[in-house]
Amino acid sequence: MCGAPAFPDREGVIEVKQLTKRYGRARAVDDLSFTVQPGHVTGFLGPNGAGKSTTMRLILGLDTPTSGEALVNGRRYATLGRPLHEVGALLDANALHPTRSAYNHLLWMARSNGIDPVRVAEVLEQVGLAGVARKKAGGFSLGMKQRLGIAAALLGDPGVLLFDEPVNGLDPDGVRWIRDLMRSLAAEGRTVLLSSHLMSEMALTADRIVIVGRGRLIVETSVKDLTERYDSLESAYLALTAGSVEYGAAR
Amino acid sequence: MNVLAAEWLKIRSIRSNHLILAISLGAILLAVAVAMSAIAMYDSAPASMRAGARIAELEEVVLIVPQLAMGIMGVLAITSEYATGLIRTSFALVPGRRPVLAAKSVVVGGLGLVVGPVVVFATYAVSWWMLESRYPVAGFADRLPTLVTSSLTVAVYALLGLGLGAVLRSAAGAIAILVGLVYVIPMIVGNLPEPWSERLGSVMLGALPREITGEDLTSSVYGALLSPFAAAVALVLYAAVPLGSGLLLIRGRDV
Ligand SMILES: Nc1ncnc2c1ncn2[C@@H]1O[C@H](COP(=O)(O)OP(=O)(O)O)[C@@H](O)[C@H]1O
Ligand SMILES: [Mg+2]
Repeated sequence: MCGAPAFPDREGVIEVKQLTKRYGRARAVDDLSFTVQPGHVTGFLGPNGAGKSTTMRLILGLDTPTSGEALVNGRRYATLGRPLHEVGALLDANALHPTRSAYNHLLWMARSNGIDPVRVAEVLEQVGLAGVARKKAGGFSLGMKQRLGIAAALLGDPGVLLFDEPVNGLDPDGVRWIRDLMRSLAAEGRTVLLSSHLMSEMALTADRIVIVGRGRLIVETSVKDLTERYDSLESAYLALTAGSVEYGAAR
Repeated sequence: MNVLAAEWLKIRSIRSNHLILAISLGAILLAVAVAMSAIAMYDSAPASMRAGARIAELEEVVLIVPQLAMGIMGVLAITSEYATGLIRTSFALVPGRRPVLAAKSVVVGGLGLVVGPVVVFATYAVSWWMLESRYPVAGFADRLPTLVTSSLTVAVYALLGLGLGAVLRSAAGAIAILVGLVYVIPMIVGNLPEPWSERLGSVMLGALPREITGEDLTSSVYGALLSPFAAAVALVLYAAVPLGSGLLLIRGRDV
């Protein structure tokens, strides 16, 4: 069904091109361009309200851009036939029906993209939820929901993965687990875009960093470059986003 | 086919849908209860009054239960996804979006096509077995056309609910309109001055099954101005207009 990729040289690449999204008068994403390459964990960093989640929704075709475009594997997401085979995403771990079991939650997703149900058991095992597969997802802790969301993203064995703040709500063990998982996914040659509003998470996980503030690109570089230019990643982040943090009422 | 299998699994893996089906089929028990009280009333009435005893058709009395219940199933089939955020997952998995709503229509409409006839024909059987010796109950052959068209309204309500849910994206608004269409608007229309009461009463959903079959409507609160064909078209439109609007709107909206 998939055959040869349409754009072999852009396989696994996420291209965000002059992307703008306005809600009313507010620009959530403002002329944003960056590229994410396979084989790395790319940290997508910015203060709350910087436009990270909006950018991810735009990449996934869930929101329509005001202008510009986002491409995955050289194509607009909306043109993908069975997208789970190419792109896996975790946007919101709470996006679950509370009375549906973890197993059925993954099984309907597998069905909709023609994925072998065997994969459901495999990914549940992989994220450590095999023991609670038949339990209602509504009763899960946030950490377990994050794991379930990650399992869903992995279901189609995709080359491109997007995770929006997956570390929220995880205990230290879970944070460690995610970090190792992200790195091993990238080491397998996959593209991993991982958003966070905390630089501390990125230091040990990401190789590349895209920092945004108020919807605009602040810097697109490597972690190595940042550590060379600043005392620490934390101070690099604070210095770079100083003008972009939204202070409560003073927006 | 994949999307259809996914939507079928979604519907049957939620417990509230099992409850909704149980309530819908519970209408048959309600019919038994109504029949028992009608029997008690008949038996305690003086002999002089028994000969003229009349009772409304049980199907008409209890049909509102599966209509509303399946309508609500239709509403929730889509609004619960908006409420939980699951709609983003559904649309990310099927970027065309319309197949998702189309598959939901097949599932919810298909359940309506099973539930409606089961309730209607079982209820007719109840009235035949329990009431026929005491009350006049029209014969099966006479009733059959209207039993069929009445039973179809359950699927129409399910699709109407789904369409309203797809357009409004919130359960509260969609259920309010649904209840308005079943209960409130017919009541208002019934109290309008003529000729409006009869004109509008003829296009109420409840009037359509008997307008299609041409059965006598003089005893009902509804009008009977539509031809069978026009009534059949109106019945289809009750489902098709909201669903069609949903299909049109679902594509371009941000989620
Ligand atoms: N659907 C929406 N309608 C209106 N404003 C929105 C919507 N989504 C996001 N925004 C606004 O866009 C900005 C960026 O939000 P978001 O992408 O969620 O940022 P982040 O994920 O980086 O915290 C915020 O100011 C937010 O309030
Ligand atoms: Mg966010």
